Amino acid sequence: MLSIARGELVQIFRNRSVLINSFVVPVAISAFFIYQHEVFAQLGSLGYIAAIVMFTVCAFGLYTSAVTTMASRRQNLFMKRLRSTAAGDAGILAGLVLPVTVIALVQVIVILTVLGVVTGMPDDIALLAVALLATVAMMVGLGLATAGLTNSPEHAQVTTLPVSLGVIAVASWVGISGTEDLALLKRLLPGGSATELVVNAWNGGVAVTDSLLLLAPTLAWVVVAVALAARLFRWEPRRTG
Amino acid sequence: MTSPPVIDVDRLDVKYGDFHAVRSLSFQVRRGEFYALLGTNGAGKTSTLETIEGHRVPTSGTVRVLGHSPADRAAVRPRMGIMLQESGFSPDLTVRESVRLIGELTQRTDRVERVLGIVDLTRKANTKVSHLSGGEKRRLDFATAVYGTPELVFLDEPTTGLDVQSRDALWDAVDKLREDGSTIVLTTHYLEEAQQRADRVGLMHRGTFHREGTVAELTRTLPAMIRFALPPSAPALPLPGKRESDGKFLIETHRLQKDMAVLLRWAEDHAVELQELQAGPTRLDDVFRAIDD
Repeated sequence: MLSIARGELVQIFRNRSVLINSFVVPVAISAFFIYQHEVFAQLGSLGYIAAIVMFTVCAFGLYTSAVTTMASRRQNLFMKRLRSTAAGDAGILAGLVLPVTVIALVQVIVILTVLGVVTGMPDDIALLAVALLATVAMMVGLGLATAGLTNSPEHAQVTTLPVSLGVIAVASWVGISGTEDLALLKRLLPGGSATELVVNAWNGGVAVTDSLLLLAPTLAWVVVAVALAARLFRWEPRRTG
Repeated sequence: MTSPPVIDVDRLDVKYGDFHAVRSLSFQVRRGEFYALLGTNGAGKTSTLETIEGHRVPTSGTVRVLGHSPADRAAVRPRMGIMLQESGFSPDLTVRESVRLIGELTQRTDRVERVLGIVDLTRKANTKVSHLSGGEKRRLDFATAVYGTPELVFLDEPTTGLDVQSRDALWDAVDKLREDGSTIVLTTHYLEEAQQRADRVGLMHRGTFHREGTVAELTRTLPAMIRFALPPSAPALPLPGKRESDGKFLIETHRLQKDMAVLLRWAEDHAVELQELQAGPTRLDDVFRAIDD
């Protein structure tokens, strides 16, 4: 797994368009949110900014590059090549998504640290970390499922839009309007409860037990995503002949 | 004492939807053998090979490789090298990185420099795969297949796109593997390669074996050929022959030496020159061409 991950890391840094689209753009957007934090804090709260930068990195960085990577490695038969070795399927997948996952985690941690330094520290760092890990797991799972529906890296530009724009929209909706009305719907949508969890962890004022219940929908989405991935994921391009 | 077969295929069926790619195929490959799987396009060679390699699941029937199910990657893959029909390397990795990565994942031990030397890619070690020619990619593929000298090597169309020197170098490397006791399974479009090297040939047609046996066994059943051109003034032939579309005569015979003598004596007696004279046993190509007849 680690040798595959090392190879992936090398490939990410050699492929400039992947590097820029997936890692520079989310950081730039996040920097804008932090720079304009007074405006956005007034619109929602500081917790909303934390949630939106986390989802920006996870949706455009992590999720989109995971799907693009899978589609690309399948299309050029690199996955088949890996499966010609003694490596198991789980190890291959883990190796392929590990670098983008670690990069996304580091990005979010650095960006939130900057936000904390600029605006004041979050109320509950441990809860924030739990929310981040659950969100990353959900986005990786959704990425594997989406990869099954994606034929090529170019195709990924289309297939990733519903989920990436969807979770950003949900995060903005929940982060700005809160969950006082339509609470059930907002919490069940992918990213909704994770957003509320991040907002609570950052702003404080909500009992930890209440917040932890919000993990359930996110973890349910992880299960749904993995189940979808198991049905949809393909290791080789569709046979054309 | 006979050792158990390295590959044991028993009534294998492979279907893709309605398409029946392999039909009730059974065969065995013994330790140290060079076995060639031949056939026309769509005959089911690659489906068979990929099922044995573990890339496909049989629709029915059983396949055992080195005593295990091919799906048991941890058990079988460290002992076998696979050269796929299409390369499947990451364009952004260098040659050295690709060999090291795939080599490590086979769990065999070897030196990257050694296998690059075998395929003459030492000078390209730091070149990205995207900058390699088609032939160089085939050689890179071969290098990863023979990393750590596995006891079983699959070669799926290994010489497609290779120039003559690379082809010879590849076969030299295969000969060396065989000296070390490796078993080789080959599919190829170049019948000469199979004719020259294979211990046994499985000739596939429409998903099953049209014939299986040694090259001699396969060609023995077909007549040998004598071909030549004649001047227009020549008298009638002493043997039954037919005139082909290019104007040359073709004599098919199961008694090559005897009929050759008859023909040469006749030419001598009538002072006829047999132009562009050729004679020889049936080649594997002819066995192939005879499939649909």
